[in-house]
Amino acid sequence: MMMKDALISTITSFAPEAPGTHAIVGLWAFSIVVFTLIFAVVVGIIVYSLMRFRWREGEPDPEQIAGNKKVEIIWTVIPFLIVTVLFALTVRTMGLSDPPPAPEPDLIVIGHQWWWEVQYPKSGVITANEIHIPVGKALSVRLDAADVLHEFWVPELARKMTTVPGHPNHIWVEADKPGTYLGVCSEFCGTEHAWMRFLVIADPPEKFAEWEKAQLAPATPPTGEAAQGLALFKQMSCVNCHAINGTPANARVAPDLTHFASRTQFGSGIAANTPENVRRWFQNPQQVKPGVLMPNFKFTDEQVNELVAYFETLK
Amino acid sequence: MNTKQFLLSAWSWNPLVIAAAVAALIVYWIFCRDRQRMGYLVAALAVFLLALVSPINALADGYLFSAHMLQHIFLLLLVPALVLLALPREFTLGRKVLAHPLVGWLAGVGSMWLWHAPALCNAAVSSRPVYATQTISLLLLGGVFWWQVIAPREEDRLSPPAAVVYLFTACTACSALGIILTFSPVTVCPIYMHVQDSLGLLNTIRNDWGMTPEKDQQIGGLLMWVPMCAIYLFAILAQLARWFSHSRTEEHAR
Amino acid sequence: MNQPSAALPHHGILSLEQKMHWRIAWISTVDHKRLGILYMLTGLFFFVVGGIEALFIRLQLAIPNNKLIAPDTFNQLFTMHGTTMLFLVVMPVMFGLANYFIPLQVGARDMAFPRLNALGYWLVPFGGILLHFSVLAGGAPAVGWFAYAPLNETPYSSQLGVDYWALALLVMGIGSVSTSINIIATVLCMRGPGMTLRRLPLFTWINFVNSFIVILAIPVLNAALVMLLIDRRLAAHFFLPSGGGSAIMWQHIFWAFGHPEVYILALPAFGIISEVIPVFSRKPIFGYEFVAGSSVAIGLLSFGVWAHHMFTVGMGRAADTFFAFSSMLIAIPTGVKVLNWSVTMLGGRIRFTTAMLFCIAFLIQFTCGGLSGISHAIVPLDWQTKNSYYLIAHFHFIAVGGIVFAVFAALYYWFPKISGRMLSERLGRWTFWLMVIGFNMTFIIQHVLGLAGMPRRVYTYPDLPGWGWMNMVSTIGAFFMAVAALVFVYNLINSMFRGAPAGDNPWNAWTLEWATTSPPPHENFHALPPIHSRRPLWDLANPDRPDPVVGPHGKVDAVTLEKNKTGVLAFILSEAGFFGVLILAFLFYNANPQPGPGPKELNLLKTGIFSLCLFASSFTIWRSEVALHREQHRMMKLWLALTILLGGIFLIGQGLEYWGLFKSGISVSSNLFSTTFFTLTGFHGIHVGIGLIVLLIVLAMALAGDFEKKKSTALEAVSFYWHFVDVVWVFVLTVVYILPRLR
Repeated sequence: MMMKDALISTITSFAPEAPGTHAIVGLWAFSIVVFTLIFAVVVGIIVYSLMRFRWREGEPDPEQIAGNKKVEIIWTVIPFLIVTVLFALTVRTMGLSDPPPAPEPDLIVIGHQWWWEVQYPKSGVITANEIHIPVGKALSVRLDAADVLHEFWVPELARKMTTVPGHPNHIWVEADKPGTYLGVCSEFCGTEHAWMRFLVIADPPEKFAEWEKAQLAPATPPTGEAAQGLALFKQMSCVNCHAINGTPANARVAPDLTHFASRTQFGSGIAANTPENVRRWFQNPQQVKPGVLMPNFKFTDEQVNELVAYFETLK
Repeated sequence: MNTKQFLLSAWSWNPLVIAAAVAALIVYWIFCRDRQRMGYLVAALAVFLLALVSPINALADGYLFSAHMLQHIFLLLLVPALVLLALPREFTLGRKVLAHPLVGWLAGVGSMWLWHAPALCNAAVSSRPVYATQTISLLLLGGVFWWQVIAPREEDRLSPPAAVVYLFTACTACSALGIILTFSPVTVCPIYMHVQDSLGLLNTIRNDWGMTPEKDQQIGGLLMWVPMCAIYLFAILAQLARWFSHSRTEEHAR
Repeated sequence: MNQPSAALPHHGILSLEQKMHWRIAWISTVDHKRLGILYMLTGLFFFVVGGIEALFIRLQLAIPNNKLIAPDTFNQLFTMHGTTMLFLVVMPVMFGLANYFIPLQVGARDMAFPRLNALGYWLVPFGGILLHFSVLAGGAPAVGWFAYAPLNETPYSSQLGVDYWALALLVMGIGSVSTSINIIATVLCMRGPGMTLRRLPLFTWINFVNSFIVILAIPVLNAALVMLLIDRRLAAHFFLPSGGGSAIMWQHIFWAFGHPEVYILALPAFGIISEVIPVFSRKPIFGYEFVAGSSVAIGLLSFGVWAHHMFTVGMGRAADTFFAFSSMLIAIPTGVKVLNWSVTMLGGRIRFTTAMLFCIAFLIQFTCGGLSGISHAIVPLDWQTKNSYYLIAHFHFIAVGGIVFAVFAALYYWFPKISGRMLSERLGRWTFWLMVIGFNMTFIIQHVLGLAGMPRRVYTYPDLPGWGWMNMVSTIGAFFMAVAALVFVYNLINSMFRGAPAGDNPWNAWTLEWATTSPPPHENFHALPPIHSRRPLWDLANPDRPDPVVGPHGKVDAVTLEKNKTGVLAFILSEAGFFGVLILAFLFYNANPQPGPGPKELNLLKTGIFSLCLFASSFTIWRSEVALHREQHRMMKLWLALTILLGGIFLIGQGLEYWGLFKSGISVSSNLFSTTFFTLTGFHGIHVGIGLIVLLIVLAMALAGDFEKKKSTALEAVSFYWHFVDVVWVFVLTVVYILPRLR
């Protein structure tokens, strides 16, 4: 059912890969059994009545039974007991699947219209839309929003939680197995809510450490056509929104591009990070992702080539 | 002091409270001796002791606002209601003072609001006499409130539809306070912010139980809002049952 | 069984004479039956509109990465679909049914306030036009039907769509409140002889209970909308975190309305089911008292569970736990109802009419929807399923499988009474099966999609394994439902003219609406049958085994209250809800002192003096009433004039206070203190102003001698309102002027 190595896997809340989501699925299983039993009782009564008590022309009306107090009390008390049991399990599972946050977050995720900013406060790494985590380590995540409400949801790894401007929230994220897990924004947040997807990439600790080290390095100064691209980047208003470490660009309005080329997708999941797709983006981002806050700069073909060349160097 | 030690040791064996409970039992035994309704009295006394003797009392005494709220609900809503139910059905107080539903309504809602004014709430924790006054006033005012609904004699009660309105408005008024307590970013009862840790329990409460003062007040507000409303709701449904069962008793009158 | 009435006075819905003046007959009508029909037709029209919107949504989602509809258009479509279906379809249709059948079921000639009834209806098309006008004014709202802050604020939705949306909901909300006041007054004051409260048919009883939910819940929405409009138009920051406001507050206020709203839509459906199942099972409802009582329980609980819509916004463990419990409690009265309906069929003689088929489908679909609802109260499950297609599936099981199916049952059941002709049962069966198959195709699969991680409100989705075909199935199902709706509309139009004549009581039903002709004459009844039980027509048809007599003509239930006072009291209850929210908002936003203007700018002494004038006016209006009672008409006019004078002085005082604040540069948007201050005192001032206008009208009536000729309750009703306005000021004075000084 799962294709963890493929870039795009099925995501599902029924295939837990973390202790928290395991607890939730356990409660699911129990609830479904309870629901099925209740449903069977109701449908049983209905189907039995339909088969047994049909009206035929000319028959007199049946005995007029108006109720039975004892029966009513029984079927008030039994649901109450069921509810009590479900409530007790709810409280227990809430504790298991959502422990209180750590004093300092390992990861800060900030929802923007329509992308995710990812900060690792302990190492200082800042990236976007692709969250790398070490396997088997629970990370305390602080969720924040820059503009409107968003919602952070990685069904396999954690409960979902809204990101609220001015009201930081916390969750724990953990992956038991290495792989790429799909995440989405599940709170409607405007035009491109559909394309506010992200990836959680769980790597073995060594590989994660390597990734972290690579991310910390500033962008290498480009040469040739790519250097033209950097000049263009500085000269146009790109720097008002984007940051690239090692260049004067340090704005935090839009995704950090220092290691753009190391990501597999861009535009929050709307396209794979290939030179052709990046080219299309520069030609007119509004064509690729209508409504995105990046305007169409109407670059010439030459300029686009330079920018694409430069972005390819941002490993 | 950890949780276990606390639960074992923090019982407040207040002689006055015990004496009051024993006296109530004796008075009931001498004057009423209604075996069928005795259960209600026992339940009333059990809740009474739970509120004032059990560790809830120790927590309410300066540690946790939510425990204080629990006490409040027990004393105002549960104990007087159970006592009224325990009384023999012919018992009446005459119809002078308690006759007007507005008096009962104000007694019930007013005591809830008044004792949560920050000054009074603080005083009730820091001063013994005020605390005693609070306890007695809650019990009495609770009795006045419930009298309109479950007075022993049918004639002393409101008609069921009127009782539904009475209870519903009271529930709304208390929920409003609960909502304020739940969402208020400031403390309503500041004394619980600065705990005098006489039992050495504070560490357990803050760390083991994870009860911050903010969370504590939120739980207090929620207690007042949700379970308290559930009590009113139950009473409202009981009134409807009373109303509909009237129709049953006169079934074959035609 | 069919006794076509020989003396049927009308042919179809209109008599010949009425047909000639149809414009006057329909546009200026105050007759509850016609208004009921207008309500239902309006609902049907918007059902088609909302349905088409739904089809476009499903078309766009049929395949992955679809480019059929632009993202913003898609977002507008689902916002309009939700808003339309809730406020312009279900509510009008339910109000239409209530309007048509409550007076008939209680044996009344009309609603308590026929003209108010017409107002309530006409506000619906007005609201509908306002909402859709936004399309011409730069685009429909694209924020979802609950318009979460801060996306609903100007910085993120700068076009006028949200403003039109808020205005439309305000207008329709006022209409809903007026209609509900009317229903309450009708049930309390207009019942025919012998129709005690305990003998009410369940449809009427449940609508009566529901009306209380409406008048308490809608003002909460109105308060939220007013605050939103102040934010958007006057640059305030109630819900804008960047200005110190709270985005979560919008959710609290909205859902404090929104969850009761769910029951406002569902309860009338319960009422319909409680009428139809017994008739086609040939048995009385099982446990009338429990069905009636559980409706009250649901109504009360509905106000204490709203935060379960917010388990994922980070309210904290404590709040999540409490609301999980209260939400689960709702399952109990609902379960009791479902079991009562099911057991009513047990031991009956079930007739498979289309109406009954829809009821049976309702029972099964609604049970599914209810159970998936419990899974949302189980907080950890909600943490996975909230805002996913699982949630969409859940509430469509309630909204379509529950409410729409019940409406179909109601229309097949009552159409003969309304039109005098039967709907085609053959076409009815087509509608039923197409609908049930289409519905289940559309929505069962959405549970799976939601669990597979598909969030709601996405205009497209990547081609993940399984997602494509599942969405395709769902889309095909939607078209089945569309065909079902077409068949139904055809059946409706065809049967209107060519249906078999219905006779007075085609189903051998037992409630009073079947005791008159189909369609009923203008005055509803020529004579009422004797009423001793809940099924007067059963007693009539079965004199050998009548139902047990229900209740005596007891003190309480036989009392019919005075309708003007009842109406005003219900209105006051509703207004209290509105001010309650504004006062709570004031307390919340001013709990901590904030930079900028604060309570220190206010002059307690001056306001105190003006307040005394207002409080004194309560006394003077009371004296005026006493004078009227003693028939001292001159004194009465004097006291009334004095009341108006005192009220006027208060308003002038408030005006001076505002002027002073404006001069020192304080406006609505200065900070949250000034925003909440002007909002709260401003709305109170508006209410005083309205009270003054009404008092002036009463004074004019008095001067014209109206009170001398006949006993009028106008003064009494107005004085209730006036006292209420004064009581509100007691709270405002305490909260705004006095409390901050005690700190």
